[in-house]
Amino acid sequence: MTIVIILKSIIIGALVGFGVGAGAARMFHAPTVQGMGAFRTLGELNACQGDPISHFSFGLGFLFNSWATVIGAGALTQDVEHRIIPNWAAALLLTKNGNVKETLHDPKKMAVAGAIVGAILIPLLNSTAAAVPQSLQNVATKVLVPAANWLINPVMPIIFWLAALDAGKRTGIWGTILGGLAHLIMGNAVPGIVLGILIGKGVDDSGWNKITKTLVTTVIILFVLSGFFRGFDVALLKSMNIGIPQWLINLHKFFGMVVK
Amino acid sequence: MEDIKIEDKKLGFWYSEWGFIVFVMALATGIFGGTHLYYTYHVGAFNDLAVVALLEAGLKGGGFGAAAAFGGAFLFARVIEGPLVGILDIGGSLQTGVGIGIPALMLGAGFTAPLESFPLALLTGAILGAIIGAVIISIRKFTVDKIDSTFGADIMMGAGNAAGRYLGPLIVISAVMASIPVGLGAIIGAAVFYAYKKPIAGGAILGAMLMGVFFPIQ
Repeated sequence: MTIVIILKSIIIGALVGFGVGAGAARMFHAPTVQGMGAFRTLGELNACQGDPISHFSFGLGFLFNSWATVIGAGALTQDVEHRIIPNWAAALLLTKNGNVKETLHDPKKMAVAGAIVGAILIPLLNSTAAAVPQSLQNVATKVLVPAANWLINPVMPIIFWLAALDAGKRTGIWGTILGGLAHLIMGNAVPGIVLGILIGKGVDDSGWNKITKTLVTTVIILFVLSGFFRGFDVALLKSMNIGIPQWLINLHKFFGMVVK
Repeated sequence: MEDIKIEDKKLGFWYSEWGFIVFVMALATGIFGGTHLYYTYHVGAFNDLAVVALLEAGLKGGGFGAAAAFGGAFLFARVIEGPLVGILDIGGSLQTGVGIGIPALMLGAGFTAPLESFPLALLTGAILGAIIGAVIISIRKFTVDKIDSTFGADIMMGAGNAAGRYLGPLIVISAVMASIPVGLGAIIGAAVFYAYKKPIAGGAILGAMLMGVFFPIQ
């Protein structure tokens, strides 16, 4: 069974690393080139300032946490794709050539480096069972997890919020309303603020046209749907001490959610 | 070739729009494969514990509604946002959407074959990736290319960059709160890295871990 897991993991790791590497390098050319990764990944890659040791140790810090959760619960954590693979691929390239423009920003080289890192890393994580020393595991979990959680909430919402407020009245208002609602409904304000900036800047730059109107409509539908599926409607009625009508309970039941 | 700057040759496959579709396909294939590993061997799902727990709840017979709705909503939001800001968030769109939401939707409908068979899982992931990539490129074509607005992508990039800087101090604070030796390790590590003009997050982590080996937390 272990051999099967290793073989499958090599294929999976290479595919994932290839996509993550190319996507991460393309982020440095966004928005003219469509990139993929995450804003925080871009920020963290920049924070390491092209220093291979920093890139490596940053990835290493998250490795132990990922290792611990994959051993405990089979979950690799999002950090494998957001942090470990891009930073280690960068470290691998930067040890040979310190110029970020020719390494970290080059999709071809990052894709190849990412595929190599992935093809080694994923089988290693998936197949090893008890190799992580307990003390290291504890430190990683107790130190990195709270820091990363604070970054996600409330540091990132605040940074994005302030950026929206500083970018003009329209982005400020849309960012505040959608950000606040997103924090209520989705548990984190960042997606809402990002959508607020999109709408605010879109209207600032091109006015109320078909595209911006479609965008607003889509965003409203998104909020309504995610509110419904996360049971926000029921929670809202409950917190206002209003009885929940039977049709609403039935509607939720129809989509597989039990209203208590 | 090497003497030409990257900026001057943002052409060809690696910078192209169909190249993007290929990269999304590779990533989605791998992620769906990871969910197959989780489904069959209980290892290798590309997501955080809390999100994987949603899928696990479904596998244990608790209904796939939560996982499907959570993953689906993220996929939808990120696919709309991705082409407008120029960066597709792989956490929401692919890791949660393709890795958790869509499998939950399939399992909820009693469609287990794509998760039971490895080749089928890879094929399913590739198809999903191709669809998502194509949708993003077409949204890009119909919106961003047509009007002269970046929809505030520069603002969001700036905020994303600023967020990265906070991590170093946050790690030191977290280490200090974990235990005294680990905290001291993080402080010294951060200071040494700063003195050598390196980002303090890396030093803080290494310092904390080094002390953690000798003085385990609890």
